[in-house]
Amino acid sequence: MIKKFKDLNYYELLRIPYNASSFEIRQAYKHILAIYEENSLATYSLFVEDERKVILSKIEDAFLTLIDDKKRESYDNNLVSMGEVSDKMFTDKEQKKAIPIFQTNESRTSNNSLTRIKKKIQEKEAADFAATMLKRDQITGKDLKNLRESLGIELEEIFQATKISPTTLAAIEKDDMVNLPPKIYLISFLKSYAEALQIDPKQVVDGYIKNIP
Amino acid sequence: MRRIYSIGGGKGGSGKSFIAASLGILLAKQGKRVVLVDLDLGASNLHTLLGQKMPEKGLDEYIDKTVSRLEEVAVLTTIPNLYLLSSTRCSLEIANLFYAQKLKIINAIKNLPFDYILLDLGPGTNFNTLDFFLIAPEGLFVTTPEPTAIENTFIFMKSVYLRKLKLSLKEANMWHICQEEIAKLSRGALKSPLDLISILTARDPEKGRIFEDLLSNLEFRLILNKFRGQVKENLGEQLVEVCNRHVYPSFDFLGNISYDNRVYESIIARDIFIKKYPYTKTVSDLQSMIRNLTGEEQEVVQVRVQR
Ligand SMILES: Nc1ncnc2c1ncn2[C@@H]1O[C@H](COP(=O)(O)OP(=O)(O)OP(=O)(O)O)[C@@H](O)[C@H]1O
Ligand SMILES: [Mg+2]
Repeated sequence: MIKKFKDLNYYELLRIPYNASSFEIRQAYKHILAIYEENSLATYSLFVEDERKVILSKIEDAFLTLIDDKKRESYDNNLVSMGEVSDKMFTDKEQKKAIPIFQTNESRTSNNSLTRIKKKIQEKEAADFAATMLKRDQITGKDLKNLRESLGIELEEIFQATKISPTTLAAIEKDDMVNLPPKIYLISFLKSYAEALQIDPKQVVDGYIKNIP
Repeated sequence: MRRIYSIGGGKGGSGKSFIAASLGILLAKQGKRVVLVDLDLGASNLHTLLGQKMPEKGLDEYIDKTVSRLEEVAVLTTIPNLYLLSSTRCSLEIANLFYAQKLKIINAIKNLPFDYILLDLGPGTNFNTLDFFLIAPEGLFVTTPEPTAIENTFIFMKSVYLRKLKLSLKEANMWHICQEEIAKLSRGALKSPLDLISILTARDPEKGRIFEDLLSNLEFRLILNKFRGQVKENLGEQLVEVCNRHVYPSFDFLGNISYDNRVYESIIARDIFIKKYPYTKTVSDLQSMIRNLTGEEQEVVQVRVQR
């Protein structure tokens, strides 16, 4: 049965997967706030003041809960115990738990890989590779993966640079339609991915979107 | 395969007829046989957008039985493959059709022998407009970036769903159940078709499911017309997200169509905008809208000025 807006849980409200990274949560929060904030043209005439207040405070609660690891865990447990969500949905959470390992040296590592990417992409071979790919009308996840690998960059490094969850990154590289995030996020993720590889984000976004149905 | 699209949107002057005409022209240029049906009974003006004089025959001759088959009153326009089924000669009273007449027209439209049948609707949310809109399982909603247009579009969307639900419930002899429940609610409490579905589901989950599926069969798209630079680039996507959440989850965004002064000027000069100004942003927007709509990979259509 289709859920009514007021019955959506925090994940559904923010339209993020149950294993969303904190980056994804922040992005989603910014995105939804722009839709429901006071003078947004998209919802201008749709709600009376009180209704808007209720929605905005739910959005606020959702954000503050999910961004806080402790609060999020107890919220998640609650969802499972109410039978809202099967704990299967959270199996991917291992990934989320794995994040701290990368986070320890976060800024240093990501700076390192950034400079490394910068150097690499200036080498003729890599530059040619990137140029050929960008010339194509359609760009697949495989193209992106090939470029990344030819630059000698690990998926984790992209994750560190972009904060896009490794599951989502993998889905992008596999053209895994089922697990791709909604288009609106996908576009923003592709941009960050392209920026991390220091290639033209617009061409990557356009080419990739053309490749998915 | 025959495809029928209705083009509506509630607000007057949002560009429904312009979009319908442009869509028709571009599809016809691709070699598809297209008929534009002007269903703005009592105020039809589609012929003007096609640079055409008032057609000599139309829906009226079908209603008064001068002809027996509806396609006989579809006239070829100056564009090859593009036909116009006008309703200019339908008098104002015809805007209030009898139900049986309306059903007959609806059936005839559904069976018109064309590749594409495009229905241009009038503004407002009266029953005829809603019923004509619902002829097609695929509907295009045209709005502009003004708050009033957006508001009317939301109202129109909800009215379309509620009308569909009401007619189907009546057909299933179940309307009276809902009627009682709706009466119990405070005025205006019925905010979205989902409210009605949940009333039904509370009564009978099985039936609720059936009607939910029925509404899910409708496929709607949003077009943001008269788009200008100062409007937020992602307004259309935001609107679609709002529709999916607060109206019904069946909406997609087809694209922004740029505002161009020359659209108006062309109408005044009885020129066809997309023929006269084929290399404008507005025309390339219209073309990418068609690509999004038909999902086919089509080569860019060349529209030449014909003298
Ligand atoms: N993209 C556009 N750029 C500039 N002007 C436009 C555009 N689209 C439509 N118009 C203008 O807006 C006016 C209304 O257009 P149109 O008749 O197509 O609207 P409509 O929604 O069919 O109106 P009605 O509700 O009365 O049937 C026309 O004068 C037309 O020139
Ligand atoms: Mg019109």
